[in-house]
Amino acid sequence: MKFKSIQTKVLAVLLVCLVLGVGCVVALMHYFTVTNAKGLALEAVTSSQKMFEILEAREIGKMTAVSDALLANSQVCDALAARDRNRLTQLTAPLYPKLKSEGITNWMFHTPEPDMTVFLRLHNPAKFGDHLNRFMDKEVVRTHELVAGNELAKAGFAVRILRPVPGAKGGIAGYVELGEELGQFMHALKSQTGNEYGLLLNKKFVDRQFWADSNAVWHRRDNWDDNPDSVVADRTTANDSIIQYRGDLSAVPDQGMVLERYREGKSVFVRGIFPIRDAAGQTVGAMFVVKDITAVYFSMRQTQNVLLALTVVSLSVGIVLLLTMLDRFVFRRLRHIMHVATRLVGGDFETAINVDSDDEVGKLELLFEQFRHIFVDLMKQMIESQKA
Amino acid sequence: MSQLYDLKLKIEAKIKADGLDGNEVRGKIGLKSGKLLALINPMTPDDPAGIAKLRQAINDVLGLSA
Repeated sequence: MKFKSIQTKVLAVLLVCLVLGVGCVVALMHYFTVTNAKGLALEAVTSSQKMFEILEAREIGKMTAVSDALLANSQVCDALAARDRNRLTQLTAPLYPKLKSEGITNWMFHTPEPDMTVFLRLHNPAKFGDHLNRFMDKEVVRTHELVAGNELAKAGFAVRILRPVPGAKGGIAGYVELGEELGQFMHALKSQTGNEYGLLLNKKFVDRQFWADSNAVWHRRDNWDDNPDSVVADRTTANDSIIQYRGDLSAVPDQGMVLERYREGKSVFVRGIFPIRDAAGQTVGAMFVVKDITAVYFSMRQTQNVLLALTVVSLSVGIVLLLTMLDRFVFRRLRHIMHVATRLVGGDFETAINVDSDDEVGKLELLFEQFRHIFVDLMKQMIESQKA
Repeated sequence: MSQLYDLKLKIEAKIKADGLDGNEVRGKIGLKSGKLLALINPMTPDDPAGIAKLRQAINDVLGLSA
């Protein structure tokens, strides 16, 4: 097959169209896959963030209700006002296991300002008398109203409420504080969404030595050096490998953001992250969201393969049909004209062309047939004159 | 007898010897050489350019070095 033939050129163009068509389908499906993966990741981040906020509000409400009940007990208020640690412990310690089982892991009483030290830690009674000097402490002293929000302590992040305890003469007897570790939220989130979560803390807000000591107490691996700027405080997965973030946590936008898609073994995941602010509004950490999109991803890939196969088959059938039509309506008739013309020059004055179509090639056939009649007459005359 | 006619006879002899389609062969040679073989007779005057073209066409179509 010579390239100068129109048939070959048409075939080449059709093959280019086939390749382009397949390329477009692949590109389109890749675009859909990437877009859908991003959409799924965005949905995972958004829904997780909303659910986190709902959980946070619910737990703040729960702790507020507990503190209401506590402050309604005048014996508790009087014990704090009298700075009777033993009496206060006797009154509150029996309640702590019950509250702890409901997720309230931190329970403290503070002395009033100006020194405002920890008077009693129900979760660690042996330790008291220290100054915490946190944003929430200053805020509750300033407003003498309930303050709620996330507060990062030396080795952990918790949602807390801190409120004044009224004294007998209308003053402030001290403060009561209740708190829940944010790490617990992740497990609730996981059970609701099926996603995996990791709580990342900005290292500049965490005390290195306290982190090491805390890990030793809880028999956890010291993961301080895993990431340059953040540390994984808690996670729902068995390992930290899918929770890695090299960026700046303080730069994570309020609405969260989608990270990358990646594969681990036969599973495909998308990752996202949303910021967690403390009571002062600082981005001290972030919640890392990992969504398993393996089923959706391979479903999209399967659709891509089916669409690709259909495109190849349909375009191939189209090419065959087009070439068949071109051969039937154009090339075969042109070859016949060439054949008749050759035989005519060779002395065959009888073979004619049957013109049975009025299309473009039919007009050429008619023209050639008219020319053939003239040529045959002329030839016959010349041959006769030569004989004469 | 002209050389052109001599060449025509060679063509006819080859067609007959090999049982070829005479009109097809003559047509191809005629188109290639620009000569109508039907009009070549013993009296046809020779022209060097026409002879050369006809020889080349015979060679191309029949593979004969005439």
